[in-house]
Amino acid sequence: MNEQKKSTRSSFAEALVEMGYKNKNIVTVAADSASRYGDFVKKFPERSFNVGIAEQTMIGVAAGLALSGKIPVVTSYANFLTFRAIEQVRVDIATSGLNVKLIGTDTGFSSAWLGFTHLALEDMAAVRAVPNIAIIDPADAAEAYKATEAIFKYEGPVYMRLRGRKEEPLLPVAEKSFEIGKGQILAEGGDVLIVACGGAVYDSLKAAEILQSKGMHATVVNMATIRPLDEELLMKLTSSIKHIVTVEHHNITGGLGSAVAEFLAENNPDVRLMRLGVKNRFGTAGSEDMLKKEFGLDSESLGSRVERFLKDY
Amino acid sequence: MNLKHLQDICATVRRDIITMIGKANSGHPGGSLSLVEILVSLYYEVMNIKPEDPQWEDRDRLVLSKGHGCPALYSVLAHRGYFEKDKLITLRKLGSILQGHPDMKKTPGIDASTGSLGQGLSVAAGMALGAKLKNKNYKIFCIIGDGEMQEGQIWEAMMASIHYKLDNLTIILDHNRLQIDGPNDAVMSLGHITERMKAFGFDVCEVDGHDIEALINTFCRPSSQGKPKFVIANTVKGKGVSFMENQVGWHGKTPNAEEVKKALIELGGEI
Ligand SMILES: Cc1ncc(C[n+]2csc(CCOP(=O)(O)OP(=O)(O)O)c2C)c(N)n1
Repeated sequence: MNEQKKSTRSSFAEALVEMGYKNKNIVTVAADSASRYGDFVKKFPERSFNVGIAEQTMIGVAAGLALSGKIPVVTSYANFLTFRAIEQVRVDIATSGLNVKLIGTDTGFSSAWLGFTHLALEDMAAVRAVPNIAIIDPADAAEAYKATEAIFKYEGPVYMRLRGRKEEPLLPVAEKSFEIGKGQILAEGGDVLIVACGGAVYDSLKAAEILQSKGMHATVVNMATIRPLDEELLMKLTSSIKHIVTVEHHNITGGLGSAVAEFLAENNPDVRLMRLGVKNRFGTAGSEDMLKKEFGLDSESLGSRVERFLKDY
Repeated sequence: MNLKHLQDICATVRRDIITMIGKANSGHPGGSLSLVEILVSLYYEVMNIKPEDPQWEDRDRLVLSKGHGCPALYSVLAHRGYFEKDKLITLRKLGSILQGHPDMKKTPGIDASTGSLGQGLSVAAGMALGAKLKNKNYKIFCIIGDGEMQEGQIWEAMMASIHYKLDNLTIILDHNRLQIDGPNDAVMSLGHITERMKAFGFDVCEVDGHDIEALINTFCRPSSQGKPKFVIANTVKGKGVSFMENQVGWHGKTPNAEEVKKALIELGGEI
């Protein structure tokens, strides 16, 4: 794996500034956390708004700006965007398909020390319950950059998950092109299919290496878009691989695991599925690494859980 | 009341805040330090509580709606005996009773879970309503931030507390005039807050939020008939640590080892 490191948040901010130069219609609305837009606010002060600590108003104002032909970007801690303001998202933006880009930060365990209010482990479930919004969870900073470019080329509401300020390693996804709705095969093997998204991709790849050393071969898919799901890729891969594992830094209800389970149950029930993530629990304060261990999502735990799954079924 | 004793406690609480946040390597020093005299006044002189029985039904209750100030609250609760002081340095660690934001299921003495700004005052209003429904005399105190006042739910809850004549509810505004992106006035002005709150229908008092005697007098004075009390406590964000005072940058920044040392010396600690 590449030794370079970068945070998804800084990558997003860089791409946003770049897109800001290219497209004068891009505007940002902040709720007292404007630093998430990086230099955009400094470079384009007349296109930057701050409504104070008022996430619901942030969404409403964004909707109004979209109705005026602008392309608004909003950010907040993911929970305050997707839970506090979900009805504004649903009624003001999703139903009419407004071109607003919703950016939820500090998802998964990336800001775990803040405790359960800030640990975003159900945000995708909230957004997935609302029709019409594309959902993206980039695996690393390079993908976050490409995804940011892509969401501005896409017409319609998008929810993108970012993590915290911590710099993370760049993955092999860096060399691949990004397309909304397309999964990427990062490793190939015939024994098990690991479908992961966001912060879980790194440990899934590491787990695949551990499995490899024990003679078990995994295909690893980076499913950066949770909606629309890359059904074609899933159909293709599950025609030969019958053990499927989903991994996400999110509750297994309502996120990637659910999306894959729902699709396979109706289209290819002839497989075994194990969903790994957080199961019916709230997050709790701690370091990211401790939390991953606590929930069995570090690479060693993932490796042994997949190994057991292959042996037991 | 022994003023000197309370002031000493405040200094200890401030040192705890710095030590805890330093050890956790994360936390909100600015908005914790501004709360110290408010919390010490309440928990030592004003509130009717039994630390040995945190769930005592007749106790006065406190909702720290600006939950990120919890290091101050944790320290005060520990010194009042709700839990052992050595727990303080476990702040934000896996399995700790002291979460990054107040969690009533984990910490003895925490009356409501908060951390998502804007929600606490509605819960406090519900508690005040509950007390009236049960014919109980206990009081509810709710501390909100001035940035937090920008959340619409705060205004909904204020309306409800006036509508229901919740004179057993005291709202305390930690008015340090700063939030994350800058001064309130630059981000989203609260306008003339005293006049606004009077017009809303509150029994409004303004007080120096670091003057213990004034705070106690204000909290203990009965509110005018049928009106919830709204106390504007003028405070200094980062109070007590010279390089943090009135500095936006110290909202959610962790002091490094050198800064922790400097702060503790200023706060009268022995190193
Ligand atoms: C709903 C919600 N939105 C945003 C945040 C992030 N946040 C934490 S503290 C803070 C600023 C709070 O300002 P203020 O209420 O003035 O508190 P103080 O300055 O006293 O620390 C923000 C925006 C949050 N915790 N909850």
